[in-house]
Amino acid sequence: MLSFLTPARRGSGLGMAMPALLLLLAFFVIPVAGLLSRSVTEPVAGLQNYETLLGSATYLRIFFNTFLVSGLVTLITALIAFPVAWALAIMPSRVAAVVFAIILLSMWTNLLARTYAWMVLLQQTGLVNRILMATGIIDQPVQLTNNLVGVTIGMVYIMLPFMILPLYGVIKKIDPAILQAAALCGATKGQALRRVLLPLATPGIASGALMVFVMSLGYFVTPSLLGGTANMMVAELIVQQVQSLLNWGMGGAAAFILLVVTLALYALQLRLFEGRAR
Amino acid sequence: MQMKSLLAVAFVAMAASAANAQQMVFTSWGGTTQDAQTEFWAAPFTEKSGTAVLQDGPTDYGKIKAMVEAGAVAWDVVDTEFDWALQAGKAGLLEPLDFGVIDKAKLDPRFVSDYAVGSFYYSFVIGFNPANFSGEAQPQTMADLFDTAKFPGKRTFYKWSAPGVIEAALLADGVPANQLYPLDLDRAFKKLDTIKSSIIWWEGGAQSQQLLASGEAPIGLFWNGRLAALQADGMPVGISWQDNITAADALVVPKGARNKEAAMAFIAEATSAKAQADFATKTGYAPINLDSPSLMEADLRATLPDAQTANQINADMAYWAEHRDEIGNRWYAWQAE
Repeated sequence: MLSFLTPARRGSGLGMAMPALLLLLAFFVIPVAGLLSRSVTEPVAGLQNYETLLGSATYLRIFFNTFLVSGLVTLITALIAFPVAWALAIMPSRVAAVVFAIILLSMWTNLLARTYAWMVLLQQTGLVNRILMATGIIDQPVQLTNNLVGVTIGMVYIMLPFMILPLYGVIKKIDPAILQAAALCGATKGQALRRVLLPLATPGIASGALMVFVMSLGYFVTPSLLGGTANMMVAELIVQQVQSLLNWGMGGAAAFILLVVTLALYALQLRLFEGRAR
Repeated sequence: MQMKSLLAVAFVAMAASAANAQQMVFTSWGGTTQDAQTEFWAAPFTEKSGTAVLQDGPTDYGKIKAMVEAGAVAWDVVDTEFDWALQAGKAGLLEPLDFGVIDKAKLDPRFVSDYAVGSFYYSFVIGFNPANFSGEAQPQTMADLFDTAKFPGKRTFYKWSAPGVIEAALLADGVPANQLYPLDLDRAFKKLDTIKSSIIWWEGGAQSQQLLASGEAPIGLFWNGRLAALQADGMPVGISWQDNITAADALVVPKGARNKEAAMAFIAEATSAKAQADFATKTGYAPINLDSPSLMEADLRATLPDAQTANQINADMAYWAEHRDEIGNRWYAWQAE
């Protein structure tokens, strides 16, 4: 899955990457640089945008919420995706193709439509609450939207394919004979999972987790519709500042902090992964 | 480099063809509102002038600012909130309107300024699901809206910082209607704090309808047009016009718009008596042309904010335009607290 990151291939083929790099330069690097420069020049020159963001309990809470939600979503997604990817890897390929189609089909459906669907399902008068009440599990409807629960459920659902696909790629390459060997050597099923399968699948988990975590950090639609304002995430703050208040300095500063954190995480993962490859 | 110049050529070609083919771009918020604007404003305009109107959306203030700053303005007429329009006019983001083309004598003077004329106006009204309040007294006043003991359940309010909810909170707290401005923000947020855990925010009209119809939020403060639409669909909806708070949308021309002349002519058509009357008939929002009500059927006129002036409060757009940023920053920080 990530073979393009191995040291042997890196450095070569830069010429062929030029069109993509130019595109990124024109449509990503330059605008981001513009945004950064606005964050230290608007409304007046200086670092006051960063001071406001990092010096206020409210804004810090928004950053904290963002990491909390992203972390939770990553963890739960990994827990669900691992068995799914494992099952996909050992399934007959014809069945696996159908399951894959189901997983991918959800990705092709409009994000807004999917999020509204969750809203309808999870609200107090929604299907989930009605079933739970009809079966006598609860007497009063449970609050499943406009809070952390709603955001987490909605985002886990949307992020699952991004975890399943890299995990599947890695697990598929693991020779089933290795697990037989582990069993022959006396490993229990639990030991085989913990000491053989999980370590071998780690690169898949790492790249899936990074992708899910980073995408979650910048997510807007789902938190906005399924979360309450008390669970506001950074992307919503940026939208308010850029779209509603036209305060691009502040929006730029928030975006830049998010970008720095994301790049730092990416660098960390790259480092860990390279260490493993050597 | 070659690719860049190629792109540049393509852009110039596109711009040139746009200028020749007699067309302009109108941007609004989407949904049933923009459908009605297309049907009753754009279509007759195209028929009369031969200028095609391309629809775009949704309205995005960040995009308008970016377009104006970059000198590449793709939108000719935009439907915005009225207080934003006043602020943006002052900030140099808008073209002054040509009142040689637009006849302002016939327009409601509440919604006319140098840079903007009303698009339509609406009232924030108390809406409730009668099924949730059967038997008991039904909610009537802003104080009832904030009284979770007498009228239990979630309430739904407009999420974005805009005229309406702050005023409602102050009215509920006993501020007389004629002393609302300047807004006492401390008092308003203190009042809002008392029901904060019961608030579900709606971001757009469709969501507000969904929340009310499903009973998720059996009571709230809504755009009157959205409640009228629910009633038209056969939903039983309770409406209280007590202290209804008017606000308006505006039609503006971003600074440097490519088809300025067409834009002014479009606004003239959109604010004409017939176009405004037809739009109001379809949407339940009120016309800003003073001649429009006489073109509408009597029973329809009775459902418009026009017919509810006795208990009506006009949100002070000039005040909002001046304090928009300050209120907005406090509003969003309070929401996130």
